[in-house]
Amino acid sequence: MTILEEPIKGVPMIKNYIDGEWVESKGDIIDVVNPVNCETIAKVGISTKEEIDDAVKAAQEAYPDWRATPPVARARYLFRLKELLEEHFEEVSRVQTQEHGKTIDESRGETRRGIENVEVACGIPTLMMGEFSEDIASGIDEYLIRVPLGVFGIIGPFNFPFMIPLWSAPYAVATGNTVVVKPSSEVPCSQSKIAELVDEAGFPPGVWNVVNGGRTVVNGMLDHPEIEGITFVGSTPTARDVIYPRCGATGKRVIAQGGAANFMVIMPDCNIRGTVPALMTSFFGNAGQRCLAGQNIIIVGNDDKFYNEFMDAVTATTKGIIIGNGLDESVQMGPVRDTQKKETILNYIESGLKQGATLRLDGRKAEKIVGDYPDTCFLGATVMENVTRDMKIVTEEIFGPTMGVMKAKDLDEAIGICNENPFRNADAIFTSNGKDARKFQYECNCGNVGVNVGIAAPMAFYPFSGMGNSFYGTLHTQGKEAARFFTESKVCIQRWL
Amino acid sequence: MVIGKEVKMRLHTASETISFAKELEEKSAKFYEDLAQRYSKDEDVLLSYAKENNKYFTQIQRAYYSVITDAIEGGYAFDLDPDDHTLDTELPEKASYSDALDKAVEIEEKMIKFYTVAADQSMSLMADVPRNFKIVAKKRKNRIQQVKSLA
Repeated sequence: MTILEEPIKGVPMIKNYIDGEWVESKGDIIDVVNPVNCETIAKVGISTKEEIDDAVKAAQEAYPDWRATPPVARARYLFRLKELLEEHFEEVSRVQTQEHGKTIDESRGETRRGIENVEVACGIPTLMMGEFSEDIASGIDEYLIRVPLGVFGIIGPFNFPFMIPLWSAPYAVATGNTVVVKPSSEVPCSQSKIAELVDEAGFPPGVWNVVNGGRTVVNGMLDHPEIEGITFVGSTPTARDVIYPRCGATGKRVIAQGGAANFMVIMPDCNIRGTVPALMTSFFGNAGQRCLAGQNIIIVGNDDKFYNEFMDAVTATTKGIIIGNGLDESVQMGPVRDTQKKETILNYIESGLKQGATLRLDGRKAEKIVGDYPDTCFLGATVMENVTRDMKIVTEEIFGPTMGVMKAKDLDEAIGICNENPFRNADAIFTSNGKDARKFQYECNCGNVGVNVGIAAPMAFYPFSGMGNSFYGTLHTQGKEAARFFTESKVCIQRWL
Repeated sequence: MVIGKEVKMRLHTASETISFAKELEEKSAKFYEDLAQRYSKDEDVLLSYAKENNKYFTQIQRAYYSVITDAIEGGYAFDLDPDDHTLDTELPEKASYSDALDKAVEIEEKMIKFYTVAADQSMSLMADVPRNFKIVAKKRKNRIQQVKSLA
């Protein structure tokens, strides 16, 4: 058992990064707590409206010069940032584990995907190329230029403190905009570290700002007339009822990614040996706290022998999951982020049981936590059978290490269950039959589809999609769609007389 | 991984397997450094093996850092018993050079076995990592021939 060294030491104060300066917040100070041992690892300010206004002002002032910087030169800043992120790869990964609780493999995966977005944004000279039509009429040409808009707000969630703001920020600045990033106040350390590297990469002051805080900062962004658009990742109620309508009301562009309750459809011809580890990662990776996580499996067919064999394999492997401190390299599942989230998950399990589900594996009390940490934020992996489509554990997002097990008589019924769910973020099928896989991909109305892949996480050069209650907006983060979101099309028709 | 079997004290995660590979490479490198001190006849070549070990680990770590994503089953990629792959690098004080080289061959064979098993287990999961395990195993096979030729 090797426990890696913690990178955050001595309870630092996480400051705002505004106009190229580190500024301590004037707002209330709260603790950043490591969920493994409930120790305070840092302190952070809940910034005031004046502070978000300062950041937007700095971003606005930096915009004209930054916009006038050639895209190829802007890309070079990002190349430098990418190099620095690679150099600090291990450190930033451990910061994520320390502030969030996820395992070190998960954090390194998060770091890699974050860096991949910086890499893709480095291709901005190509990504934001315009279009040209010669002779649309005699002697008249028409062309399209993709122009940046100004200041964008980027609001990050708690579950991927490093990666998710990087689904947006690199594209925003690469296209010539300036940004204000607001990390989750529960996990502000990763974005602070990124800002340090942004600073070291030499970005001009005001181009990339970070303001810590909560609702006041979010409201300040939503109401600010100088913010052109917002990207948000968080819960569906906030995405649907706050971010999306208020961006509409103030004329802002918006990408609002919400929650999920994803299905993994298991066909009797699946490769069990390959499927079970994929399910472990899907349901219990990041302690179930990700919008691509599986929430329920649907076992197709009436083959009891297959059902029992499959569930025996799933249960035995789930039982063996090693729980503990994510900096312990042997650990496969860390704690959930905090006690409130743990309580919510426990309530969902109780509601499932009340509605008729049965426990195949009871993870309500974490047993065998490696390293004897307090179980305050820890849960074991829970597997519930006899789950039906009307239960809250199917129709609502749990966001924890639970697996519900449903049955469907055939693939059509399974697809029907997926499609009637209000969330339609990511569903997957496990099968060795190409025709069934194609039917699933074609008929399943969700944004991200997995075929024998439990976490259908789009690479940085594809949009991070989502449908239904999982997504509010038109364009998505990442890749070409992000480049499109952060630019407006200017069309010019030209004639020389 | 072994499905449906609860196992303990084995290596399951990518992180601990990569760290274990580092341990093996360092131990083996130390063995060659000690050998170089004791048998100065082939000092340069023995020290070059120690240097190569560090290069091998860097190559593997780089592959791991390049492909690890949270979509990959990094936490469940392996099922290795570290006891099967532990290196015995102890050499009796009066060991002859020939004995030392036999020990070197034994170490290389164990390393090849480790990398081969680890590559097979993670083939469908870790993309570039198993390929690099195989490359290092192949290089070690070549090294065995070189070590034998030193005798």
